[in-house]
This record gives sequence, structure tokens and C-alpha cells, in this order.
Amino acid sequence: MATDKASLQQLADKHAELLRAGYRAWSSLEHDLPPAMGDFRWTAELILAAWAMAERGTLPDNGLEFRRGRSGGGFDVLDFRFLPESEWTPASQEIGLEIPLNRRGEGPLRKIDLPFYGGGMSYGSVSEQVMLSRARAAKAWNTFTCTGEGGYPPSLVPYKEWIITQVATGMFGVREETIQYAPIVEFKYAQGAKPGLGGHLLGDKSTTTVAELRESVPWVSLFSPFPFHSVYSVEDHRKHVDWIQTVNPDALVSVKVSTPADVDMVAVGSYYAGAHIIHLDGSYGGTGAAPEIAKKNIAMPIEFALPKVHGYLEAEGIRDRVTLIASGGIRTADDMAKAIALGADGCVIGTGDLVALGCTRCSNCERGRGCPFGLTTTDPELQLLVDPSWGEQRLNNYYSALAQRLTDILRRLGLKSIDQLRGRKDLLVYRKDLATGRHQGTMTNDG
Amino acid sequence: MTESYKRYHIDTAPAPDVIPWPSRFRVRVGRLGLAKLLIKELYHYRGDLELALSRPCVYGVFSGPLGGFMPRERLCVGCLRCTTQHPDFVEVTRNPARRRLGDSYFTAEFVGAVAYEAATGNIPVKGAGYRGRFAGDGWDGLWTDMSEIVRPTRDGIHGREFISTVVDIGGKPQHLSFDENGRMIPPAAHVFQLPLPMLFGPPPPVAASRDLYQLMVRAAAHTGTLAFVPLEMVRSLDLSGNHVAPLVGPGDESQLTALPVDVRLIVMTDWSKQLFDSLRHRFGEAVIAVQLPFGQPDRLLALLDSGVRVFWLTADYHGRTADGRFVFDLIREAHLSLVDVGQRDRVTLLGSGGLVAAEHVPKAIIAGLDAVVLDTPLLVALQAEFEGEFRSPDDRGCGLPSELTVEWGVQRLQNLMAAWRDQLLEILGAMGLREVRRLRGEMGRAMLAKDLEREAFAGIEGYDGH
Repeated sequence: MATDKASLQQLADKHAELLRAGYRAWSSLEHDLPPAMGDFRWTAELILAAWAMAERGTLPDNGLEFRRGRSGGGFDVLDFRFLPESEWTPASQEIGLEIPLNRRGEGPLRKIDLPFYGGGMSYGSVSEQVMLSRARAAKAWNTFTCTGEGGYPPSLVPYKEWIITQVATGMFGVREETIQYAPIVEFKYAQGAKPGLGGHLLGDKSTTTVAELRESVPWVSLFSPFPFHSVYSVEDHRKHVDWIQTVNPDALVSVKVSTPADVDMVAVGSYYAGAHIIHLDGSYGGTGAAPEIAKKNIAMPIEFALPKVHGYLEAEGIRDRVTLIASGGIRTADDMAKAIALGADGCVIGTGDLVALGCTRCSNCERGRGCPFGLTTTDPELQLLVDPSWGEQRLNNYYSALAQRLTDILRRLGLKSIDQLRGRKDLLVYRKDLATGRHQGTMTNDG
Repeated sequence: MTESYKRYHIDTAPAPDVIPWPSRFRVRVGRLGLAKLLIKELYHYRGDLELALSRPCVYGVFSGPLGGFMPRERLCVGCLRCTTQHPDFVEVTRNPARRRLGDSYFTAEFVGAVAYEAATGNIPVKGAGYRGRFAGDGWDGLWTDMSEIVRPTRDGIHGREFISTVVDIGGKPQHLSFDENGRMIPPAAHVFQLPLPMLFGPPPPVAASRDLYQLMVRAAAHTGTLAFVPLEMVRSLDLSGNHVAPLVGPGDESQLTALPVDVRLIVMTDWSKQLFDSLRHRFGEAVIAVQLPFGQPDRLLALLDSGVRVFWLTADYHGRTADGRFVFDLIREAHLSLVDVGQRDRVTLLGSGGLVAAEHVPKAIIAGLDAVVLDTPLLVALQAEFEGEFRSPDDRGCGLPSELTVEWGVQRLQNLMAAWRDQLLEILGAMGLREVRRLRGEMGRAMLAKDLEREAFAGIEGYDGH
């Protein structure tokens, strides 16, 4: 393996060029579908459709299925009750996709121009190049990305107005200035992929640079243990919010929680503790490594948590005073629209960003040198496969295509803005014909 | 001297496969395409060999002496970088031979997980989120709860606080008794503890061998659990020790002298009042269990009246009874039948059948078992291969590798138990439970897919609640 910087760059350039040609070729179906690609949730077609969107900035027009996977449940069995064409919102009518993130009626009003932003992926779990790509795309679209819990690389500071600082139990990289940078501070109480288990960065990925940012010891595994030791109650949580608002009075506070049986009460408690954003992270998402048993079995999918929380907030009379954000298995623009119809205000995506940047969802993020596509790695050679300018353009294109599809869905439903879709379960249809294949013991199609 | 506290721990060590499983993926490289690429790159990079010969695989598939001309596909993890980069002459496919492992219930993916756990003792960990179906029948129809903020275990799974997996086996007294002088009458010792809620069931005749019994008993001893062994094997192998749980049936009365003197659990494979009384008389310190097929709650209550306090409820290897019902519902039925008569806490329910993955253990306990009795996972951990459907102990399609040794097998089973226990701890930790005994029958901490879907999708056109 080459070691000097110039050689590394040469190697990366060679492979990046071939990879990018490959992304183009596969997504234009020059070679049919890769036979070993995809799974029930992210089918090969969904992956290639995301690549196509990231290539061209438009929805695929070659027949690739870009709307749903084949999981046989949740979003995949829901459809929209589109109106006859004569009743669509006219093309001359502009469709609004922006959503407010502060509905409390006080403090800074922050709006984003798209009903989604980027989820937390820490430095160490992904490369600095990936973080930069996401930050630049967030700036271009006036939305946000999130640091995750891994520190704040200095290269991100110029984009701080579009970056959420995450505070989690390990407090890695949480410093006064990183809180002060942030328009939004996100408390990560739990995450959907490993609810109740905390975060874990394996020693191999805790390089000297990663360790420096996290103020830890290089090559030692880092735990971000669940839960916060300082929080046993809503009152304790309120103290957390006070702490952030003392350090940065202009910051909005987001509370990221998982989806237990009492997720509705957790949401209400978070609101009364002062949260502006309640971020529900369902059990089927996640980008980092997690025990398989946790991903599949602990906590409920986001599709079921949303109506529960939305309804409870309404019953409590506070629904219009808090922003409800959904994540954990949001793969497509259609998923976003369905999540909003089930009660969310907006969504957070993570895996979608990585797929747009070339992820094949092979699940080997933690193995060996890390991601062979240069995404979830800090390997000095591999991370060079993603050039931030290239990455930014891919994400800009991808977001553009997602926005087009969201606009199209709203237009076909006769709506003028995304907020009109919120909680409109009546605009959904359950497709029983797609709810098939539920056989014990065939839950994945891993090789 | 008082016995000092010793934290329960299972020793793990690598125990690699003794026969190679089929690789997960096949890698096909077009030789002409590769040759052309080599020539082109050697020219393009002007003889810079490091650059020209650098290949996309970071897992070593193309790092053999002949590079891409002879890919080492057993190293392939299916990342697809090679085929992404060279779609015109590299193809990666899933290996159909791998898909044929196991049977229709113990599917290839479960076989892969058990094999990994047995080889390493580790929990399967992967990136990129969940990949499977949304929900399913049986075990796949529920999710376990987690506790968001307030929880008793605090960092339990990270080792700073202990989560107990100890279970009680036996008939527990429901109240204390005192004599006329107010002194407590000690209850008869008909209960003992195991450090984990997993026992080793008997292997099917087709796979049974002296080595297999030896290694199961030794692995049971090392992990602190029990291995069920037919009485004739106890005799012929001269097995002893309190990790042997002999299986005895009506007619065996004359051979009971072969039982180890310190036996803790004796399992009756069929009910016989005479045998039961005889065992109780001769082995007053031991707990007597009775094997009973799932789906017979009336019989269970009748045997309870006859003094039985431990039941081993059985379904076939696919978790079904003769009438086709699945074990999850049958556990609920047995558990609730005892709850209804107010006797649940006096009884230990063991169960087997259809438990082929770590996640099934907490789900079976949530449904109402105290502990599980493992069958086919032990065989698969030892690299047994099925031929066709392997549903019952009478089926013939199961073979263990001839390379199997006792030492290797012991380690494989220890690794499996360590990995499954660690995954049980993950579930308990996430739920905020301090001990597995609190999990039993706790359906309130389970979320059924059907219920959640009904709640969430009610009112959506086309949804009829089924």
C-alpha cells in the first residue's frame, strides 16, 4: 500500500475515476441490475435510482423503481390517493417545501427550504470528505446536516450556519465553541439502529486524528454509553436544555429519541422540557455498525411511531408548538411524503446521502479498513475516493430530484405546500397486494 | 470459609470452521477484459507498477499470486466495489450453494449467524441499518420495548452494572411456613439456579454419538447449564456430574442406579405416576421435570395437580405442533393457563422447538417460558448439514462433520452460548431490566406488529386490520 501523500492521491484518483464511471454505467442500466446488490428494504433498483438522481439531478426515466422497496410492510405497502389529473394543483402554482423548525412562538425562527435535513454521522464513522460534502449541500439548499457525536472538524466551521451540533452521552467534541457555532443543538438520547445500547466506535477507526477531535486516546474503542447519566426525568432534561441555551441562547434544541412503546409520552415530556424539535428515530434505519439483534428487534419502526406521537401531541394541544421530525428508514421522497402524511413535519436522512455518494449498502462499514467506497472510513487512501466538490454536486443533484418528486406528489394530491400534507392519513392507501411474503425465517436476503 | 463472589463469565476463544462453508459470493472476472485493462493501465501509468496493478478490492480477493485471474472468492464480503468499478468484466453473484444451507425454517441466514457466533463468540454486528422484511409471522411479529431515559440498569450492557441471567428451575414455595414456635420451616430444596436461561436438548438419533454427548456435557459444565442425555447414554458413557440431566421414561425404573448421585434435574420423557414417585423417593434432592408436547394446557394443569413443577414443552424443530400451530402462541397458551389458575410462580416452564436465533430466546421468555431448551442450533454450531427438511428428531437428514472433535465442539458451544447470552443482555439492557426473570411473560414490554399496524394505519383506505 502506498504511503506518501502524492501516491495516495494518485491511487485514489485512478480508482475514483473508474468508480464514477461505474456509478454512471450501472444507474443507466447499461449492465442490467447487479445480481448481488440490494435487500428487501433497499432494493438494487432503489440504490441505482439514488445513483441516477445523484448523477443527473432528476428522477430516473429508465424504469428504475425509485418510490418503494420490497419489505412487505410500513412505507412499502402505502401509496397515495392521487387525484384525477384535472384536480391536480396547476403547474403555474408554486409548491412550498419549506418547513419551520421553531414553532414555540419565541426565539429565532428557523426555516429550511426542504422538508428534510441530514442526520448525524460522526467524524470517525464517516470521513471528513463526506462531512464536507454534506455541509456544502446543506448550505446550497438552506437545510442542515449534523455533526453526529465525533467532534467538529475545523474544515466544517465555514459551514456552521448549516450544521447541527450533536450532544450525546460520550460528549465527544462537545465544547463551548461547538455549541456556540450551532443554530441547532441536538441531544441524542437514543438512536433507532441500536436503541438503548449507545454508540460504539471500534478502535480501528479511532485514528490519531479522530482521537484528537474526540479528545480521546488513539486506537482505543470509544463508547458513548446509553443513557445520559444526568437525566432521569423531564426536569433533568430541562436542565440540559437550559445548559445549551445558557451557552448559546440563539440555538434551537432538538431531542433525538428512539421509538419505545411510550414514545408518545417521551415526546410530550421533551416538549415540556423546552425542545423545539422532537426527532423520532425509528428502528430500521441507521448508518453505523449495530448489533443485528438490535436493528431488527428493539423498538418500533417509524411508520408506527409517527401517528402515535402526532395524535398524542394533538390531544395534548401542543402539536402546533413543536416540530416533529422522522428518521430511521426514510429512503425515498415517497417515504418522506408518507411520513409527513402519518404525522411528521419533516424528515432526516442519512443512508440516502451515503447511497447517493456511492454506498452499495454492503454492511461492511466497520470491517477492516472501513468502507471500500471511502464513505464510512478514515483510512487515508480510501477517504480520498470522495472529493468534497464531487460529493457536494452528487448531493445537490440528489436533493434536487427528491424535491422534484415531493413537489410532484403534492401537486397530484392537489396540495400547495408540504405542511398541508401533515397528518393527512386520508390521502394514503394501504396496498394489501404488496403486504406479502411474511414468512418466518426469511427476514433478510443476505448472502 | 464463605464462598467468594464470582461474576458469571463464559470463556470464548476462536474455533474456526472445520469444514469450509460455501463462500457467500461468487466472483467472476473476464480474463480478456482484465488482460486488456492491465495492458492499458501499464501503458497509461508508464510502467508505474504500484499504480497500474492496484486493484479495487480491499479485502484481498484479488491479492493472490494470480490476482484477478484467480479471485479468492472466500474472502469476498459482497461490497461490490470491483463490479461497480469494472462492470464490463467483473460480476459478483450470491452463491446458490450458500443459500442451500439449512432448511426452509433454519434458513441460510440463520445458519450463517449461528456459525459466526460459534466460531467467534461474538455478536453479529453490521453497518447500514436493517435489511430485512418489515415484519413477519411468529417471532418476527413483535419488537421488544426499550426504555428511553429512566431505567434501572443504567450502563448495564457496558459492564458497569450487572444484569442477571440467572433462572430458577424447580417448584418455588409460594409462602413461608412457621412451626408452633414461630421458627421458619425451611422449604424442601426443590429449586436450583442456572446462570443462563438456556439448556442443551438431546441430539436426534441420526446425529447422536459418544463424542457429541461428551462435548455437550462438557460445554454444559463450562457454561453452568445442563445437557439432556438419555439414560442409556449416561450409563454407557459413565457420565457423571450435576450438569447432566438424564432423560428417563416409564420402564427405566430398574436402571435408575445408573444416575449420577448429584443429579439436579431428571427429565421424564413421558408421564408415569409410578416413575415420578419412584424418582422423588430415590432422588429427593433432585427436581423432576416432565416432557409434554405444546398445546395441551389441560394436561399440564392435571400434571400440576399431580405434583409436577417443571415442564419441558416441546414442538418440532420448526416450532410447530401436529396441528400446525406455532410455538410463540403455544408458549402464551401454556403460560396463561397457569396464570389463570394462579399457579404460574410455582412452576418452571422450559420449552424447545423453533428457537434458532439469539433473538428468539428473549422473545420466548417474553411469551412465558422461564428458559429455553436448544436443539438444532447446537447441531448447526457444530457444522451439521441438513439434507432436505429437518423437522423432527426422527428425520434422517442431518450429518455432523467427521472432523468434529470434542475440544473443538466444546469451544463452539461455549462461543454460541456467550454470543447468545450477550445478545440477551442487549435486549435486557435496552429494556432497562436488571434480570431475565423479570422478562418472563412480560408481554407489556413487547410490541406486536399487528397491534401497532392496526393503531397506526386504522382509517387508511384499503386497510382492514388483517
